[in-house]
Amino acid sequence: MVHGYPDRRLYPPLMALYRDQGIVLRGYPFGEADRIVVLLSPNRGKLRTVAKGVRKTKSRFGGRLEPFTHVDLILYEGKNLDTITQASIIEAFTGLRSDLDRVVAAGTMVEVADLVAQENEPTHRLFLLLQRGLRVLDHGDLHPDLVTSYLLKAADIIGVAPALDYCASCGKTDDLHRFSFAAGGVVCERCRAAGSYALRPGLTDYLAVVAEADLSQLPDPDEALSREAIGVTRRFVEYHMERRLASLAVLDG
Amino acid sequence: MFEPPVQRLIDELARLPGIGQKSAQRLAFHILNVDEVDATRLADAIVEMRRDVRLCSRCFNVTADEECSICRDLRRDPAMICAVERAQDIPVLEKTHEFNGRYHVLGGAISPIAGIGPDQLRVAELVNRVEAESVEEVIVATNPTMEGDTTALYLARLLKPLGVTVTRLASGLPVGGDLDYADEITLGRALVGRQEL
Ligand SMILES: [Zn+2]
Ligand SMILES: [Zn+2]
Repeated sequence: MVHGYPDRRLYPPLMALYRDQGIVLRGYPFGEADRIVVLLSPNRGKLRTVAKGVRKTKSRFGGRLEPFTHVDLILYEGKNLDTITQASIIEAFTGLRSDLDRVVAAGTMVEVADLVAQENEPTHRLFLLLQRGLRVLDHGDLHPDLVTSYLLKAADIIGVAPALDYCASCGKTDDLHRFSFAAGGVVCERCRAAGSYALRPGLTDYLAVVAEADLSQLPDPDEALSREAIGVTRRFVEYHMERRLASLAVLDG
Repeated sequence: MFEPPVQRLIDELARLPGIGQKSAQRLAFHILNVDEVDATRLADAIVEMRRDVRLCSRCFNVTADEECSICRDLRRDPAMICAVERAQDIPVLEKTHEFNGRYHVLGGAISPIAGIGPDQLRVAELVNRVEAESVEEVIVATNPTMEGDTTALYLARLLKPLGVTVTRLASGLPVGGDLDYADEITLGRALVGRQEL
C-alpha cells in the first residue's frame, strides 16, 4: 500500500442515515420475516427498501408499510437496498381500503407509478399526481373517468400524452375520428393507417376534457363514452409501456 | 465446485426457499457426516410425503386421504367455513381451539398490483361449497395485508347475495404490546372493531 491512504477495509465509512418520505407502491416477502418495500419518493423517485421483521404480527412497523400508505422514513444506506429503521404515517388513506373498486383503482394508480418512475430520479409531478389520485379515492365519489384521467396525466408526465385535438401525423385539427397507437393519438381520415381504429362520435372531445380536468372535478360521466375512454387509454398506455396493466384486469375474468 | 454427487445435493438444497449457497453447503456436508440410516430416513420422508400427501378434495388442506381429518370429523360444524390463504394457516388457527367449523384453502390472495385475480384462486370452489353444503357463515381469515383485505372485500361481494354471512377476522392490537407502539391503521381498526364489555 502506498503511504497516506488508509485501507478502506480498516476504516469502513460510517453508515449513512437519511430521511425521506414516500408512498408505498408494493411489497413482497423477502427471507423469513422481511419484506421488500418499493416506494415512490418525490426526491429520489423509485425507492427500493427492505423492512426487517415486518411480517411478524408484533412488528413495530405494523400496518405502516402496506401499499398506498404515505410515510415518513428514516433509512440507512445499504449496498443494494436501503433499510427502513423508522416509519411514521403522513397519510393512511384508510377510506379507500374498505371498498373493492377503490382498492382496484388505487392498485392501477400505484402500478402505473411503479412502471413510470425511475430510481434516483426526482419525480415531484408523478408523486403529486399519485397523492392526489389516492386522496380523491379516499374521500370523493368514485368517478368512472378517474382512472382514465390519471392514466392520461401520467402519460403526459413521461412525455407520451396522446394527441387529442390535432392529427398525430399531420397536425390537421378537423376530421379526427380515428385513433392510432403507433402515431400517438388521433389521426385524420387522410392519415388513417392500418391498425388505427374508429372512435365513437364525441370520444375525442371527451378524452381531451378528461385529460385536462382536475381529478376531483371531472365532468358528469357518459356511460358509453366512459367505457370506451378507459379502453382506449388503457391500451394506449399498455402500448407505450410494452406491458399489460395487471390491476385493471384483475376483476375481469 | 465440489465433486458431482456433493454439488448436486448443494444445488438441490439451494433451490429451497430461504436457503442460500452457504447454507446449502453447510447442510450438504452435515448430511455427508451423519449415519447412512439418518440420511436415508430424510430421503424417505421427502419421497413419502410427495407420494402420499395430496389436497383434500373438499377444502384443499393437505391430507393423506381423499378428505382431510377436519372435513371427516363429524363433530365439526359444516355450516361454518373459515377461508385461509394457505394450508399452513390451518394448524395455527386450530391451536386457538376457538373454531369448530371447516376450512377452505384459497391458495393465495387477490393482488391487483401483481395481477392475481380470483380466477387464480379457489374461489369458484368456495362458491360451490357455500351452495352445496348449506353454509351459514364464511369467516375470511386472510392476512391483514392489502392483498388479504382485498380478497375479503371480493368474497363479501360475491358471497353475500347467496344469503350467507361473511365475516372477517378482527384486526387490532397485539396482545402484550404497548398502545403507543401501535400504528394509526392498526389502532384505527381496533377502535372500529371495539367490543362492549
Ligand atoms: Zn393527418
Ligand atoms: Zn378438508
